[in-house]
Amino acid sequence: MASQNNSLGYMIIEGSETMIRGAALVTDSKGFPLDFARTEPLRPDHLARILYGESFGKYAKEKLILESLLDAVEIQPQIWICNDSDILAPLKANSKIITVMLEESPHVPLDAVGHIETTAEPGVFMIQVEPNGAPLRAEFSDNTRPDEVQQAAAILSFSAASMNVLEPFTRLGKALNFLATGRS
Amino acid sequence: MPLSGIRDFIARHAIRDVTVYRIDDFNVEPPEVVKTKTRVPTKRLYPQIKISVGNPFDLDKKIPCSAKRYKLLTEQVKSRNQKIKRYVKQDIKTHKITLGKKIKTSSPLKQVQAMPQERGNTLKILKKKPTVANNEMILACYGPIVEGAVEKLVLNKQRGTLLIWYNPGSRHNKAKNVYLIRRLGMGSKPEWRWL
Repeated sequence: MASQNNSLGYMIIEGSETMIRGAALVTDSKGFPLDFARTEPLRPDHLARILYGESFGKYAKEKLILESLLDAVEIQPQIWICNDSDILAPLKANSKIITVMLEESPHVPLDAVGHIETTAEPGVFMIQVEPNGAPLRAEFSDNTRPDEVQQAAAILSFSAASMNVLEPFTRLGKALNFLATGRS
Repeated sequence: MPLSGIRDFIARHAIRDVTVYRIDDFNVEPPEVVKTKTRVPTKRLYPQIKISVGNPFDLDKKIPCSAKRYKLLTEQVKSRNQKIKRYVKQDIKTHKITLGKKIKTSSPLKQVQAMPQERGNTLKILKKKPTVANNEMILACYGPIVEGAVEKLVLNKQRGTLLIWYNPGSRHNKAKNVYLIRRLGMGSKPEWRWL
């Protein structure tokens, strides 16, 4: 697997009890797509849902979709970004690179770009990635080292100078819908 | 009380004498005893009892039994084990539930590359607004956008967002904000300005 400097990887897995699908997008620091992979929708029948029970969603996300997407992606990003805490730990365990869950926050802006603030929640930090607006809420998995948090803040701040680092999630959702229905 | 009664009363209490009557000619015929020995004819049934069972393994359910036109209670029917006389070989279909380890994936990269990026208006959260002429007003701010790599910009008037298509071959990296500025006055149109 080739790796590219300043590339960001985005991973989404969405769906319900009856259908789960996922997609991975690797972008350059401008947000331009370098690699993309998506899964066919996984539709377990009623019997499979009975047999797997409540663990089906977790099993499908972690084992089936996530691992398949990581195998399919040919460009290794510097960091994997997801928007679902369920896949944060397995994403880090399988990719073996820095992994973070990012989302907007109502927090007041921090002093400067790249500034990190700890929160009351373990593994959760506020990172100011751009000069304007609120910092992002960044959640890391339990086994993340402090230097990895620093490294993530540096990568995100660098990319946020030329792109909106949360925007690719919207594009990924639209891409999945477009490829599934043919309508954007 | 009749006279004989008074006499008996006095005799019983005064003389303690009681008149005893004897009946010698007690000639009553004994009642006729008839011995009833009636035999009710009974008939044993050895019918072919038909048993209709939906599922032969539903042993805990009561099985309806009938012989000709008689319906019998399940408890009245003694069943005997029977050997299976004929075995019809059947191919039993099995349905395996597997959720494959690998899910089919596809990589339609070109379709995704053709999709625009979207920027929202960040004018409200700008810490430092650029200076413009007195007769100009900033309507919106979109960024960061790499100006040199832009192939096309389209304003989505309904959502107030800017759609950006980048040239995939561009090596430019320097990003700026693009502002929508309106010159105050009659007939002037808003213009885009990179600042």
